[in-house]
Amino acid sequence: MTQQLIQAAPEVIRQGLVDTGTQQRLERFLALEAALMDNHEYDRWMALWHGDDVLYWVPCNSDDQDPSTGIAIIYDDRSRLLERMMRLKDKTAHAYRPLAKLVRSMSGIVPVAVEGNEIEVVATFVLGETRVGVQNIWMGRTIHRLVDTDDGLRIRSKKVLLLNNDDAMPNLTFLV
Amino acid sequence: MTTLIPIGRDYESLVQEDRVHSAVFTDEEIFQDELERIFHRTWVFALHESEIPNAGDFKRLQLGRYPVIATRDEEGGLHLLINRCRHRGAQVCESNHGNTRRFQCWYHGWTYDCRGDLVGLTGPEGYDENFDPTQHGLTPVPRVESYRGFVFASFAKEGMSLSDYLGPTKPYIDIMVDASPTGELEVKPNVLNRTRYRGNWKQVGMDGYHPHYVHMSVFKIFSKRESTTGSAVGALQLEDPFSDASTSRTRGFPNGHAALDFREQRQPHADNAIAELRQSEDGARYVDDMIKAYGEERARDLIAWHGDPHLGIFPNLQLIHGHVRVVVPIGPGETEVQMYPVFLKGVEPSINEKRLRSHEAFYGPAAAGSPDDAEIFERTQRGLIADIDPWVPLARGMHREQVDEDGSVVAYISDEITQRAQMKEWKKLMTAKK
Ligand code: FES
Ligand SMILES: [Fe+2]
Repeated sequence: MTQQLIQAAPEVIRQGLVDTGTQQRLERFLALEAALMDNHEYDRWMALWHGDDVLYWVPCNSDDQDPSTGIAIIYDDRSRLLERMMRLKDKTAHAYRPLAKLVRSMSGIVPVAVEGNEIEVVATFVLGETRVGVQNIWMGRTIHRLVDTDDGLRIRSKKVLLLNNDDAMPNLTFLV
Repeated sequence: MTTLIPIGRDYESLVQEDRVHSAVFTDEEIFQDELERIFHRTWVFALHESEIPNAGDFKRLQLGRYPVIATRDEEGGLHLLINRCRHRGAQVCESNHGNTRRFQCWYHGWTYDCRGDLVGLTGPEGYDENFDPTQHGLTPVPRVESYRGFVFASFAKEGMSLSDYLGPTKPYIDIMVDASPTGELEVKPNVLNRTRYRGNWKQVGMDGYHPHYVHMSVFKIFSKRESTTGSAVGALQLEDPFSDASTSRTRGFPNGHAALDFREQRQPHADNAIAELRQSEDGARYVDDMIKAYGEERARDLIAWHGDPHLGIFPNLQLIHGHVRVVVPIGPGETEVQMYPVFLKGVEPSINEKRLRSHEAFYGPAAAGSPDDAEIFERTQRGLIADIDPWVPLARGMHREQVDEDGSVVAYISDEITQRAQMKEWKKLMTAKK
C-alpha cells in the first residue's frame, strides 16, 4: 500500500483527487469509523457498510496473500461479517470479555483513486489496546473503497494491512 | 505467570494416574527439563515434505531449544541441520523460508551447502592440516524419519523407530492424507496462522469436554446456519458431536498420542456431505475421483470424515480439521501455535478455497474459535499460579475406559482420556534414565 502513495501520479499528491471539503469529509468519516470500532459500537459500525458485495479483508502472512490460495486473518463478505457481529456481541465470546480498551489514530489519509461516486483512500493507523493488565500496540495501513451516497460516505470494501501479519500474534479481540 | 518453587521436582509424584500437580504447567525449571527430556529426546514433528519440494528449498524451524534448517538437496534428499555455524556459533540462516544453494555465515564468512557441508572456508591458510573441513559441517539432526510426508526429528541417536512411535495412529494420519484423491497433501511454508498465548504448551489440543463452554458463541451461530458444507465444525448443527450421548469417542494411544474420534459419529452424514458436494461441478468431480481412488465404501467414509483425524501426536503435532498444527513451547507460561491449512492435491481449486474459508472462520487470531481457546488458556495460567491446592484432577471417565483392539484406551467424548495419555507419556519421558 505504501507503493500506492510512492508510485501515485503527481496529481494525487500535488492537487489531490478531491476538493478540500471532500478531503475533510473523508477524514471525519475515518475518525468516526475509528471511534465506533474503539467503542465496540458494532451495529453503528455495521451500518457504515454499503451494498451486498462488501469485503472486509485482513491478509495474513503477507499483504499480497491471494485469498484463493492462502489464508486471511479476516476475509468477510456480508454474511460472514454479520456472523462476526453476532459473535462479538455475545457474552460468551470469552476473548471479548472483558472488552479491550482501545484508542487509535488515523493519519496519512490520501485518496488515491476516484471512479464515479467511489473513492479509494489509503491511511495509516496506530492502535493502542489494553486488556487484563496487558498493553499491545498494533500498527498498520488501511485501504478503504468508499461510496459517496446521499446518506454520506459508506464502506464498500476495506483492507487492513497489519504490520505484524507475518508474525505470531495474540488475540485480535476487536475490530481493526 | 510462572513459578520457581523448590518442590523437589519429583516427577514420579507430580503426575499421578488421576491428577497432576499444577507446577508441571507453571514451573520454570520443569519447563527447561521438558525441553531436555521431551523435545530433545523423543520424536518431534518438524515439517511436511511438501513445504520444501525443490532443490535448494529451505525452511527455518524451532525444535525445543534448537534452531533448525530443513533443506532439500539436488538429489531430492531432505536434511535437518542445526542452524549454528560450526565456527563460533552464529546462526547461518535468518530467512523463514526460501531457496538457496549456500548458507553463508556473516560473522567470518564460512559457507555451507544444502547438505550442511562446509564448502567455503575463509582464509584457509590460517588453519593447518589438522583442520578437517568435513568435521565442521552444520550438525545434522541425528534421526529424521517420515510418514506420508510428515517429517519427524529426534535428537536421540538411538531409540524406537518413527513407525513404532506412531503405532496405531497411522490410520488416523491417513484420514487427512487420503482426503486427497491422489493421496497427496500440500503444505505451504508461508501460509499459516501464528498465534501466541500466555499459557502452557500442554493446554493446546484434544479436549472433548470444553467445546460447549469455551465455544458456546460458535454453537449459537452455527445453529442458525442453513448450510454446513465443507466444514467439519459446521456439522455441529446436525447433531451434537460433543454430547456423551453421541457416538464420538476420546482415545489415548501408546506414546502419549490422543484423538477425538468422530469417525463413527460422522459416518451417517456421508450422504448429506456427498449430496452437498454434488451440487457443484467441482464437488461432483471430487466425489467421483474419491470413489475411483478408494472405492465406494472408503470414499464415503473419507468424505464424511472431512479429512479430519482430530489427532494429537505427542508432543508437538496436531492434525485437526483441515490443518496441521504445531505447538512451539516458548516458556512455561508462553506458547506459540502455528496452524498450516493443508491443500488437497488432485482437486479443483474451488475445493481448497472452500476449505480455506472454513479454516479461517474458526482458526486464527481474529476467528471464532482460537481466540476463545487462547483466552481460556490464559485464565488457566493465571489460576494455576495459586498452588495452595495444587492438584488438577484428570479423572473424568476413568471408570468407563475400555481398551480397544488397536491397543488404544477409549471412552466418551468428554472423558479426560486424552489428558491422561499425554501426562502418562510426559511422566515416562521425564523420569526416564538418560
Ligand atoms: S561464526 Fe560463523 S564464520 Fe565465524
Ligand atoms: Fe477449543
